[in-house]
Amino acid sequence: MSQGPVAALGTAAARGAARGRPGRGDTERGDTAVAGPRGAVRADLEQVFRTGYPAVVAVAARVLGSRDEAEDVAQEVFLSFARSAVPAAEAPGWLAVAAAHTALNHLRSGRRRAAREEAAADGHRPVPDVADDVLVREERSRVRAALARLPRRQAVALVLRHSGLSYADVAAALDLSPGSVGTTVRRAESALREELTRRAPVR
Amino acid sequence: MPLFADRHPTAGTLRRLVDEPAGVPDADRAHVAGCAACLDSLAGARADAAVTGAALTPATALPAAPDVDGAWRRLSAAVDAGTRGRAPAPAPARPGRWRAALRSPVVAAVGVVVVLGGAGAAAAADWLQVFRTEEVAAVPVSGTDLVALPDLSAYGELVVVSDPDVREVPDADAAQQATGLDVPQVDTLPAGVTGEPRYTVGGQAVAEFTFSADRAAQAAAAAGATLPPPPPGLDGATFRLQAGPGVAAVWSEARGVPALVVGRATAPTAYASGVPFDTARDYLLSLPGFPADLAAQLQGFSGTGTTLPLPVPAELATTSTADVDGHEATLLASRDGALAGVVWVEDGVVTAVAGSLGEDEVLAVARGLR
Repeated sequence: MSQGPVAALGTAAARGAARGRPGRGDTERGDTAVAGPRGAVRADLEQVFRTGYPAVVAVAARVLGSRDEAEDVAQEVFLSFARSAVPAAEAPGWLAVAAAHTALNHLRSGRRRAAREEAAADGHRPVPDVADDVLVREERSRVRAALARLPRRQAVALVLRHSGLSYADVAAALDLSPGSVGTTVRRAESALREELTRRAPVR
Repeated sequence: MPLFADRHPTAGTLRRLVDEPAGVPDADRAHVAGCAACLDSLAGARADAAVTGAALTPATALPAAPDVDGAWRRLSAAVDAGTRGRAPAPAPARPGRWRAALRSPVVAAVGVVVVLGGAGAAAAADWLQVFRTEEVAAVPVSGTDLVALPDLSAYGELVVVSDPDVREVPDADAAQQATGLDVPQVDTLPAGVTGEPRYTVGGQAVAEFTFSADRAAQAAAAAGATLPPPPPGLDGATFRLQAGPGVAAVWSEARGVPALVVGRATAPTAYASGVPFDTARDYLLSLPGFPADLAAQLQGFSGTGTTLPLPVPAELATTSTADVDGHEATLLASRDGALAGVVWVEDGVVTAVAGSLGEDEVLAVARGLR
């Protein structure tokens, strides 16, 4: 399994995720806890961004299979982070989970993917992916569709694990017991393989 | 007898053995080494992991160092735009307290619906209290319009009379007891949403807004404009604004991203003193900085001021109407398809369903509420 830049997210994910629940309680926190003084941007944003951006893109790219889309997702993730009160120490774990969720949301909508594939079919795509071959494209499409059909928790655990987070990190990030991470990931892989086998075209 | 655990390790343990063997107890490892059935399962787990790993590898190889500088410039521009959108007026009186007091659950739910761009939610919090709500209609506005929306606190004094005391409660029964509302129960959760929701309740929020011609003139001057003469009686007139009680049930799949929010609250109401409410509204809509086309849209809604307008950034969201059990509902969806919400009013109670779901899914939840 390729570890990539995401492995660096691990320790912080384990440290921060179980305690921090970003997004929770916007209703009760009031303005100051959500985004500081009105209109202010958190001071640590640039530092967190520069450290975490490659990892966030990598997580999203595993879900979406496309770097361009992954960069769009990373922008959304950091925009949410900029408006949040997530402690900097907990940022890596928060960012990894947010990247997986946001990318899965994109998959679920399917609109961007459909639009991009349509553009590719029309020959208007400015920078064609390496996988120009139709069969490869179909297979990629099947993988994404199968991923979108997985229960959300399984899908996130799967993506985080395959992005290089350790079992302990994934457990902390998703509030799972360490023992159940393997079970969750195994179920997800089994379901994904079945889907891919069942829907594979006859060649 | 071999020295190994006498039970087969779980499938999860076998999976961990594939890529993190040090995390598996020695006894389990010893068992697997001498157990044909477990070795078979382990081989299966290894094969599935390899297939998945290959399937999840992006088709386009990621460069070792993505263009972080370029990405940072892009984010900075977006953050700057968002900040401007959230701060449309100069230093109003206690805006934080005002907004905090209005963070009743329904405002939060509507905030999710209006998501769509942080500025939209802020603008909604300013405006939605100013109408007695019997219907809901979405107002598509552009980002530029949002930046120009006047903040009411720049035009008078805002006093919080009653804090809603927003808090979490353990379950639906407690939420019902705290609010007196029928707490909506979701019949069937959408795929991907699981577990129990957290319930947040809030009592009634009451605030009074007293129009001040002096302050309004200052705000207008700051914007380089002259305040139109206020209608007789408006200077010093007070509007009593009420929201709640309300309840919100929030399902969070993991940290940070609410998968589903179902909110219900007594519809916001506004009471006028001194001058008819419609007069005040029309005057407020005519203030400098308020786009004429948007003002015309708002005025066209209802002669009796009974519509709750939800300002929705036009470039970020689409709006349409749908039927929820015989009631006309407003359906909102972010243009990237990531978020959707539906809001409707029934017998003076606003209900909203929103989340990182598709339009069909939020409608299915809305129609299945018990």
